[in-house]
Amino acid sequence: MNGHALTFQGYYYNGRQPLRHSATLQFVYGEATLTWDGEPLHYAASNLLVSPRVGRADRFIALPDGGQFQCPDMPALDALPQDSQTEGAVAWLEQRVGVALASVVLIAALLSGGYEFGLPVAARHVAAEIPMETEQALGDESLVWLDDSDWFKPSGLDQATRDRLLRKFAELSVDLPHAQYYRLEFRESGYVGANAFAMPGGTIVITDAMVKLAETDEEVLAVLAHEIGHVELRHVMRQVLQGSAVAVAAATLAGDAATLSAAVTGLPAVLAQAKYSRDFETEADDFAFQLLHKHAMSPEAFATVMERLESKCGCKPGVLDFLSTHPVTSERIKRARAAAQDPASHDHRVSVE
Amino acid sequence: MTEPDASPPVMPADEGLQPQEMLLEFRGSVREYFRIWIVNLCLTLLTLGVFSAWAKVRKKRYFYSSITIDKTPFQYLAEPLPILKGRIIAVVLFAVYWFSSSFYLPALPWVLGAGMIIAPWVLSRSAAFNARYSAFRNMTFQFRGNYLGAAQTIYWLGLVPLLVVGTMFQWWGNFQAAGFAFLAFYFAFPWWLSRLKDFMVRYTAYGGARGRYSARGGQFFRVYFVAGLIVIGGGIVASLVMFKLIPDAMGSQWSVLLASVPAYLGYMLAYAYIQANVSNLVWNHTQLGPLGFRSTLTGGGMAKLYVTNALGILASLGLLIPWAVMRTLQYRADNMRVLVEGDLAALNGGSVSAVQAAGAELGEMFDLDLSL
Repeated sequence: MNGHALTFQGYYYNGRQPLRHSATLQFVYGEATLTWDGEPLHYAASNLLVSPRVGRADRFIALPDGGQFQCPDMPALDALPQDSQTEGAVAWLEQRVGVALASVVLIAALLSGGYEFGLPVAARHVAAEIPMETEQALGDESLVWLDDSDWFKPSGLDQATRDRLLRKFAELSVDLPHAQYYRLEFRESGYVGANAFAMPGGTIVITDAMVKLAETDEEVLAVLAHEIGHVELRHVMRQVLQGSAVAVAAATLAGDAATLSAAVTGLPAVLAQAKYSRDFETEADDFAFQLLHKHAMSPEAFATVMERLESKCGCKPGVLDFLSTHPVTSERIKRARAAAQDPASHDHRVSVE
Repeated sequence: MTEPDASPPVMPADEGLQPQEMLLEFRGSVREYFRIWIVNLCLTLLTLGVFSAWAKVRKKRYFYSSITIDKTPFQYLAEPLPILKGRIIAVVLFAVYWFSSSFYLPALPWVLGAGMIIAPWVLSRSAAFNARYSAFRNMTFQFRGNYLGAAQTIYWLGLVPLLVVGTMFQWWGNFQAAGFAFLAFYFAFPWWLSRLKDFMVRYTAYGGARGRYSARGGQFFRVYFVAGLIVIGGGIVASLVMFKLIPDAMGSQWSVLLASVPAYLGYMLAYAYIQANVSNLVWNHTQLGPLGFRSTLTGGGMAKLYVTNALGILASLGLLIPWAVMRTLQYRADNMRVLVEGDLAALNGGSVSAVQAAGAELGEMFDLDLSL
């Protein structure tokens, strides 16, 4: 702007009282003159600082004596010293429709890629580095808590059945990398019916009802092989890692909307975590099929016991399946049958070796 | 000296006391804010969250500069680095909490206890940070509340400590104790909230004038009591739907889904009712020097806004978040009036309150923003 006289119309604030004075700021040969209803003020243009551009809002020029001049945004203001260089670059990006559209595409790609591949892979590697012992305190405590509450009661199975199943469980798990952590517990539980759980730290709990529902030991072992899959594949740790990452990401994405409506932030995180949980179940199923093959048993046992479980509870696929933490049972049975026909049909990412 | 007094007659007193309204306008646009929001979100994701401090500054600058009173926009002056520092500390604290709550529950009460000790510090520091970097007409706000004041406010009657100590010794295992604690908390909360608002207003200063606050806890209680009735009403309708109106043939999942609609609407309406009326209470009982405020939000208006926001955001997979933010600010601005009683020149902060004085304090060691 050297050589030209440039005039901005705006307002002047002295910094001591919240009064607005109409004013003009005129630049002539690098000197700025502020004209208002008081004494005219003179400054070197190089001593002024212009506030960052944001939207089309008015900008503020800081004057060396503590005063401020407010005026509409104009390209000419970019020739003056800027208060913040980095924000100028961001403001440049914010002005462009093309950048906004590219951002939408990039965010969609980052989120779906991170969700489908990045986060699960990262969680698998991180979980492998975290020692199993980290989970054990949590697992022991949970079991004590469940035993103290009404959830679990001592098992009513006879000693011979228990010893036989313990021996076969040991045979099933003895060659696995996490063999030292496995412990099988029997419990009676009215609330949860026929079920089995992999607790954090390697303890597997099977309910009396589950043992009774199975018609052969092979069926019990098929269920236990699935739970072994959860432990061997570190699903507890991965679930915690992935769940936390999803929660943090959802909070970041919906940060602005969080105060507007709480339901909007919660729901996507719940859906995303439910999908991860279903993936873990499928992964544990695949692991179980392989483990059964390795010990000369057929995944058919898994299919029959799941079928009996389904017919007993009368569960049918419903409108809320997308919220479920487990895949649809009929799908799991179909996969088990396919694996029984063809040992190589399972997911190759999962390996028992 | 027989001449009559030549000076002009004194103005009638009531002329000076008549409150004058200062025009409050909201000039934000969805198009502009969409671009700001999406670009900053993209950069935040690309930098794995590091940029979020810059994003916060950009968004707050836009909100502030979109609100004008008598033609002057507000200014947000914070630098991203202190915000980044605060966020790193917050992430570390959260990680400690996350680890103990996920894997090591015995440590959780002690983590909560430590959180209780630093909470007043977080509250007073972030309020001070926010005030110092907010300016209107080249004058920054100040917040002078300290650790002790904040602790006295949030630990009033020892309610919160009671809850934490209760967690430490697992009183919550006892059903009756937990029920009693919940009831005591529900009934004491409105008074607690009023004290908190009082603390925030009373220690906020602008141009040498400190805030004055005159709302009473009982007024807050009335708001929360009505909100409680709304939630109960929604619950009654929901259970009617679930057990009486839906034929069994439709299946249990459908009845749960349909019953959740009145329950959700009841919750939403209660939430909106609280938001609107607590805002009104605080603003209408706050005076800052010659400045007074009139807030006229309604629970119904807020609820309509929240429900349409939620539907719009879900249907657009989040792309309408900027639209929701802008129309909420617009609604709040439309229902706010700023009144001046007397002379604005009475506000005189001296040279310390000028915007550049805030920057001079940047070197301060604990200049960080802990509010997320």
